[in-house]
Amino acid sequence: MIDRVVFGDNQFFGINHMSQDKASEQAKRFADLDRIFEVYGYAFEAGIRAVMLNSNDRALAICDRFRAMKSQLPPIAWYPSIPYPHKYAGLVAEKGMVGALQGLLFADGAGSALGKIAQGAMATLSFDAVRLMRMLVDQEMTIFRGLDVRVVFLQNIIVDLMLGFETPAPFIEYCSHIRKRYGAKPGLITQNLPLLHRRLVEWGIKDVVICSSINKIGYLMSPDRASYEAVIAQNHPADYQFMAMSTLASGAIPPTEAYAYINQLNIQSIVFGASSRANIEKTVASITGGGEAQ
Amino acid sequence: MNAPLKIGIIGSGRMGITHHSIINTHPDVRVVATADPSMVINKLLAKYAGVRTHRTYEALLREGGLDAVLLCTPPAANHAILTAVRQHGLHAFVEKPFVLSATQGRELAASFSGAGLVNQVGYVNRFNDVFFQLRTLVSEGVFGRVHQFRSEMYSPTIVRQQKGEGWRASHANGGGAIYEMASHAIDLINFLFGKPDLVKGSSLTRVFSENVEDIVTSTFLYKTGLSGLLYTNWSDASYRKPANRIEVYGERGKAIADQHGLKIHLPEANEAHGLAAGWNQRSITDLSTPVPFYLRGNEFTRQLYDFVDAIRMNRNTRCTFSDAAATLEIVEAIFADWQNNKSELVA
Repeated sequence: MIDRVVFGDNQFFGINHMSQDKASEQAKRFADLDRIFEVYGYAFEAGIRAVMLNSNDRALAICDRFRAMKSQLPPIAWYPSIPYPHKYAGLVAEKGMVGALQGLLFADGAGSALGKIAQGAMATLSFDAVRLMRMLVDQEMTIFRGLDVRVVFLQNIIVDLMLGFETPAPFIEYCSHIRKRYGAKPGLITQNLPLLHRRLVEWGIKDVVICSSINKIGYLMSPDRASYEAVIAQNHPADYQFMAMSTLASGAIPPTEAYAYINQLNIQSIVFGASSRANIEKTVASITGGGEAQ
Repeated sequence: MNAPLKIGIIGSGRMGITHHSIINTHPDVRVVATADPSMVINKLLAKYAGVRTHRTYEALLREGGLDAVLLCTPPAANHAILTAVRQHGLHAFVEKPFVLSATQGRELAASFSGAGLVNQVGYVNRFNDVFFQLRTLVSEGVFGRVHQFRSEMYSPTIVRQQKGEGWRASHANGGGAIYEMASHAIDLINFLFGKPDLVKGSSLTRVFSENVEDIVTSTFLYKTGLSGLLYTNWSDASYRKPANRIEVYGERGKAIADQHGLKIHLPEANEAHGLAAGWNQRSITDLSTPVPFYLRGNEFTRQLYDFVDAIRMNRNTRCTFSDAAATLEIVEAIFADWQNNKSELVA
């Protein structure tokens, strides 16, 4: 079973859907790694034992410190998400699609393992897309080596792009690679939970963690909140595990109201981010207070 | 029930595959074929999107069997491609900035409309929840007569010295901050207030790009007395992702709109619109309504689904070729104004 409460990372990296000012302020505060670990400390003291972290440009430094501090911290279950979408978007803007792909593959130099395979592939144009996907996943996952990884999430920008193409192969390949290579559950982040769920059922892909915005006001829930509720109500957690994100809709819903709604849904896990001790404690209390009955 | 609309996609770059994925989810649409010179991309699409792939647009058009195309190629190629698309009698959605000259734009607008073909350009702000709401409030006179505006865009797109790779590195190919970024802010101005009558005080500044500008500023004047500023910079590393902001001042109130929402200040309450005296805040969470399928933003889905509806209903789109030609006229006016300013500065 996956953890009921997972501590997210948006607050550390200047991500706030409601306010650019607040986002910049947070980014400034958390430029110092010590401040990030201060907040992780609050989360662990509040009883949280699970962390979601995107493979962004600061993830390696954060993971290095977790590895170094292993004996001083409680055992943590890891829920990484890959890739870091802005890295890809930036590369594409500078070099175009094919240039970006080459940039990624040769990031560690043409002499690296990835570089050698990629060089051969580009020369012959006979590359194997599945192998390429596995290499890119493995490259991102080096950041999390040595940590207790439970679920590896694929970011929604990739999941939803592939979902639109309505082809099962990339989903099947990704899920099987995560299970085999990492002994972890595959996770898919999406802004289209009902459609993704329907396709996974059709394609016979089961035991996947689906992470999606789920909140009382239906913010970022396509096609609509009612469709989400219907899918969630009918799900058996042995088939799919649902993880809710954006439960406060970027602060549009007061926490008590937000979690009263979330707690009555058949949801297995909630990922949230906060940066003050009080907010973290309050959130943990409102999630665990009403949520065990499923 | 109509037969599904058969769509071809020309250009499978970042926008091409995004639009491909989105429109493929429309229940009345089938994406049947694509065209792109990259064999790597074609191989991936053939395998994972189940489409026929071609290396040229000519081959795609020659094969036939299409109702419409989505064109996501570098803009320098678009005039020739659209002329061929028009000859094949296909409806067309084109990524902005459409083409590279207002004259070519107007010519294509006339020929598509004359042939009864639906035509649309991807100025996606017109489908954004916040900006569309702002337009409604402006046109309903909530701010009274508007006197002043400021349209700003910032992004960390080009934050290192550029080596001049790819089509984005030159104006001749449609690269540079004015075509790629400022055009969005200009189109938003046109959408809200109509095309400016006079363009003054323009400057194009290079920061990291070798041959094109990274910063664009300009002043727009209207015969009605309205005036506004354009300020865009795609080399601003203080932003994590693109930010888009417009401020509107009118005799009865003011609005500030960005991707997070709409702030409205009114000296007096406007009960019909549910607005109090003083500051009112409408956040994106209040203004946004979900779309059938989400990828990168509600507005991307809404603009493509609207293209399909426009074809089905035989009506105009929210951003026609003619609208985009008007934006190109302003782009050209900025280029000309900057040339003048440069000569004055040297003299």
